Amino acid sequence: MAFRIFRFRRFSTQLLFLLAGLFAVVQISVYLLVARANKNNAIEHIDQNLRIGAKIFRQNLSERIDFLTGSAKVMSADAAIKPLLMQDPVDKGTLRSTLLSYTERVKAPVITLFSTEGELLALTDNVLGAENVGPFRFLIRQATEGDKEQASGYSYLGGKLHVLVVVPLYAPFPTVAGWFGLAYPIDTAFANAIKNTTLLDVTFTSNPDEPNLRVLSTTLNPAMAGAVARHTTVTKDASLRSEMLSLDGEPYVTLFEPLELLGEAPARIALQRSLATELAPARELEKVVLVISLAALIAATLAALWIARGVSRPMQQLAGHTKLVAAGDYTQRIELPREDELGQLATAFNQMTAGLAERDRVRNLLGMVVSPEIATQLLQSDLKLGGEEREVTILFCDLRDFTSFSEKMPPSEVLALLNRYLDRMSTIIERHGGVIDKFIGDAIMALFGAPVAAPDAPARAVAAARDMARALESLNAELRGEGRPMLAFGIGINSARVVAGNMGSKTRLNYTVIGDGVNLASRLEGLTKEPAYATPIIVSEATLAGITPRPFARELGEVKVKGKSDAVKIFALTPKGESRMPYSV
Amino acid sequence: MKPVIILLLLTHIVSASAAEFSCTITSNKGEPVAEAVISLVPLDAAAPPVSATAQVEIVQQSQEFTSYITVVQSGTKVVFPNHDTVQHHIYSLSKPKKFELPLYNPGQAESIVIDIPGLVTIGCNIHDWMITHLVVVPTPWFAKSDAQGSAKITAPAGRYRLEIWHPRGTMTAKEITLADNSAANEVVTLTLKPDRRVRRALGAKSGGY
Repeated sequence: MAFRIFRFRRFSTQLLFLLAGLFAVVQISVYLLVARANKNNAIEHIDQNLRIGAKIFRQNLSERIDFLTGSAKVMSADAAIKPLLMQDPVDKGTLRSTLLSYTERVKAPVITLFSTEGELLALTDNVLGAENVGPFRFLIRQATEGDKEQASGYSYLGGKLHVLVVVPLYAPFPTVAGWFGLAYPIDTAFANAIKNTTLLDVTFTSNPDEPNLRVLSTTLNPAMAGAVARHTTVTKDASLRSEMLSLDGEPYVTLFEPLELLGEAPARIALQRSLATELAPARELEKVVLVISLAALIAATLAALWIARGVSRPMQQLAGHTKLVAAGDYTQRIELPREDELGQLATAFNQMTAGLAERDRVRNLLGMVVSPEIATQLLQSDLKLGGEEREVTILFCDLRDFTSFSEKMPPSEVLALLNRYLDRMSTIIERHGGVIDKFIGDAIMALFGAPVAAPDAPARAVAAARDMARALESLNAELRGEGRPMLAFGIGINSARVVAGNMGSKTRLNYTVIGDGVNLASRLEGLTKEPAYATPIIVSEATLAGITPRPFARELGEVKVKGKSDAVKIFALTPKGESRMPYSV
Repeated sequence: MKPVIILLLLTHIVSASAAEFSCTITSNKGEPVAEAVISLVPLDAAAPPVSATAQVEIVQQSQEFTSYITVVQSGTKVVFPNHDTVQHHIYSLSKPKKFELPLYNPGQAESIVIDIPGLVTIGCNIHDWMITHLVVVPTPWFAKSDAQGSAKITAPAGRYRLEIWHPRGTMTAKEITLADNSAANEVVTLTLKPDRRVRRALGAKSGGY
């Protein structure tokens, strides 16, 4: 996709963007997922801690109640107080000073003593005042009605939250002679004690529905505690019991729990922990991960660059070599010592170059072995058997008595002489647009009008024959000078519609022509041996008819061609059309 | 209380020629020890008996004993006047004298006589923080160290057992000899335990641990 959005001119840039981009996407995704998981984890963890904190809080209160109850029971059994109660009227001042002594013993800051009639006999707290001890009376009533040995609960005493217990003063058991009431404040010190155990912030507030909302005690600063007090629970995450509160711009996971009060609407406990504090170690880790990710990204980018260069360099090298090959230089080879696809490509390229060079060489060779026209024809057309009918002028040329001639000379000299002769004749034939079909020993078979059609093929053939005769004359002059025996040939020319094409086997082909017309040309050449005709060149009527203006020729009569009923008129032709014989036969 | 002691001392000074004995008491930390009791128990002759009218008061006021330590010759009448607004219940479980003075009202003054020498620690049954000490010695020659840790006794010449009492330490004793019209001086080092007391709850506020 990226390739379509951005068009990169360089492969290396593509690869770089792909690798580095993919890597960055993976890293960023992982980072974000981890950060999210961390946060969710932290919230869940805090939620659990808050639940545990709530339990610890309840446990703490319950232990406090047990402790107060136990202390009160010991206190009520103390003999020292009994003589005081025996006095009539009760000395309340002494009683209060005695209870004050007890506050140190039982570590309860508030101790009260009530008569069985509910009269307040003594109260250690001189600030609280007798009008604020209602909750103790509430508990005493509860215990009396339930005939219980103790009663406890939570209530406000003088506006402050307290945990309260009452136990009877038995004198003797089970006669109730009075009631001890003990109270312990759920104050900031208590909240701090909870915080020390649980590491949670604790806030006690009055009932949220109360018009005059109060923070009773808290481990937070007043502003934050106020915000906690004002918070109204809206909706709750089903899986979590806690809520997310933003205090002072910081998220706090908060758990609200009611604290049931004696005879009034419950107060509220808020336990909370800062998400940032909980997340701090994870954030630290995330920072490390981020640094590692960045380092890895840089490393990946460098690696991508390296790989891209490893690919693009050989590519450029290949492109350069391709240009050289296109320009025809097959000598260069790519050196790429690699095992991978690029290495294979380089090897294939080298093989291709070698193949091209080979083909070029074959082509040149072909041009020498066959005539260039045939070579072109062979290279252009598919090499297959079969041909086409076309009008062709066929020229046969054969040396006279060359067999006996060659017996008198060493073979190498024979070949040299033959080549010298054939070279001259071939040159002439080709100059006249003829094509050497083949050399048959000392004989030459040449075609005019095939494979490339030529309307003036007969004229060309005749002209070529005349030139050949003249060339033979000059060759003979040379030979005479060399002291060698002279050569004589006969030429037969016929124009006919023949089949031209590739003939032979599937593996070995020749471009040639076949047909009666070819046989006739050969026959005409053979006729030149007849002394009666006294001519080296015999052409058929068809050839002469094909030349405009018709050249002068001496008619030799008619010959019957094998397999044909019609006889063919034949003519003797002299070089340049002269009537006398150019050479002796 | 002090005038009483001086009175006692004076009665003896006139009867015989006397020697000045002074003693300096320091703690093992080198600090002067106040409120230590020193006494000189005669070894050559019996100590003169206490007068029948001799009497010492240990006062309770504002739910405290007004003195930390009191020293008397054995046989002295010790009175516990209640100058307080609340009742008190004085008791001791110390060896020389186990006793209690059950709840008695302000204005009342109960008394006891202790014949056996020793340290008597006295508390209040209903007020845990109230504590006082009574040292009973078999001799009229005794004194309490002042803030500088020094105490002076004028006694007749002769051999004595010097006894030093302190509620936070064990009694130390050593023999000394006093010569006529001469001054003797002793420096004694006491090893004291930490001063641990019951905190007094004032009931002024609720709260706190």
